[in-house]
Amino acid sequence: MKHRWIVVTMMSGLVLALSIAEPIPVAGQGAKPYSPKRMADGHPDLQGTYDLATLTPLERPAGMKAVLTREEVAKLERAVKTQVDEGAKPISGERAAPPQGGDGSAGAAGNVGGYNTFWLDPGSTFTVVNGEIRTSIIVDPPDGRIPQMTPAARQRIAARLLAGAGQPNNDRGLETAPGAYDDPERRPLGERCLLGFGSTAGPPALPNYFYNNLHKIVQTPTTILILNEMVHDARVVRMNAEHLPKHIRKWMGDSVGRWEGDTLVVDTTNFNADQIRYAVQAAPGRGLFMVESLGAKPQDRLQGPSQDLHVIERFTRVADNALLYRFTVEDPGTWVAPFTGEFTWPATNEQIFEYACHEANYALENILRGARQRDATAK
Amino acid sequence: MNRIILVAAAIALTFAVPARAHHAFGGEFDANRPVLLKGAVVKVEWVNPHAWIHIAVKQPDGKTEVWMVEGGSPNSLLRAGIKRDSLPVGTEIVVDGYQARDHTLKRANGRNITYPDGRKLFLGSSGTGAPTDGADPTEKKK
Repeated sequence: MKHRWIVVTMMSGLVLALSIAEPIPVAGQGAKPYSPKRMADGHPDLQGTYDLATLTPLERPAGMKAVLTREEVAKLERAVKTQVDEGAKPISGERAAPPQGGDGSAGAAGNVGGYNTFWLDPGSTFTVVNGEIRTSIIVDPPDGRIPQMTPAARQRIAARLLAGAGQPNNDRGLETAPGAYDDPERRPLGERCLLGFGSTAGPPALPNYFYNNLHKIVQTPTTILILNEMVHDARVVRMNAEHLPKHIRKWMGDSVGRWEGDTLVVDTTNFNADQIRYAVQAAPGRGLFMVESLGAKPQDRLQGPSQDLHVIERFTRVADNALLYRFTVEDPGTWVAPFTGEFTWPATNEQIFEYACHEANYALENILRGARQRDATAK
Repeated sequence: MNRIILVAAAIALTFAVPARAHHAFGGEFDANRPVLLKGAVVKVEWVNPHAWIHIAVKQPDGKTEVWMVEGGSPNSLLRAGIKRDSLPVGTEIVVDGYQARDHTLKRANGRNITYPDGRKLFLGSSGTGAPTDGADPTEKKK
């Protein structure tokens, strides 16, 4: 088993060794306040490509302190690098096929093992905000955890699941979800190339701890584009505009922006019902918003926000090579309190590549064909 | 056992939680159809959401079957310096994985993709398929 190296064991925040040496931007230091480069309209220039990959989880692991020392973080980042190196080691070229009946891998690797780690780029450093090396993106509540859900929200989600609205489960075998692999409409949005998985596009835009974490901002006085690499999710923020009527629902919601001093504030409501509905069904994992982290407890995964989900994001340029991204999530029908998170978006010179997800989505075809074959053999 | 080790353990635990991925591997591939494929690359589709490597696999009867092997999103590899010709046609590779649930398809997940000597694809420090970093004197000039 030593030679086995599957994607599921990689979820450990492994990264291609080549991308490890990014400097950590440190915001808010120095005597003089930072003065950002400005656009012709006088507002700070937020444009650039940013790599959101980080080892800092959305929620703080139990028992962990909020801020790490340089020595502590060096140790942790070394441990991750060791895992990366381990995954890069050669195995036997004369190996046998993997075990009949599955290789025992869990999660999305689904007992068949996913793929090698060299495909991944999940981040190699912890986020640094105001010179602090953070152990969670969530900063309010101060325990770094998403607040408890309301009893009404738990009931709502349970009812949704019972009604079959969210049956497919990205992580489990066919046996847990009859028919779930048979209908493209019931496959998760990421698998259908409709939105990147997790809360990659957001809002809030969060790291996915896997790959394709690049975001690009393009800015004009009237419109700001936030482009997410995965699935080419492009969110258009209308500046100084009113929200659309409540019944008009959009992927990634309806985002309107305004400047508060040198900070861009983006207010998002009117989320597409499917985005919210599918939020209750996808993979459990590291506590990612919109999918599994909608609750504070990892074991309590089947949770999702309501139609009234409201996200407020704040983008501030804090260095020539970094933005500070801060967000607050409000949904009184779902959580007992709002919560706020923040992390640094380091600029990168790397390019965002075209995604063109539909054109080569053999995986969805394979899944649907697999279900049909299963039906045929059952008859 | 100092505090940092505990912290590391906490982080490792966090990281060990199941994988996220673009799709459900368990829905796509059949755990009862393990395969070991050896053959030469005939085509590489550097596409999203997953790259696909096509290889010609020799059968015991001497005939050749082309299999498609699923990898990850190519974007990270491209950023790591892998180019479209980093895995040239004709490169011999070894793949272990599981066949698609529809057995009429010669498709499998690339659970492990290596060169015949066991080096992971794209990660070898030299030789065919390694990043063209100049470390290999036999490397073809671009």
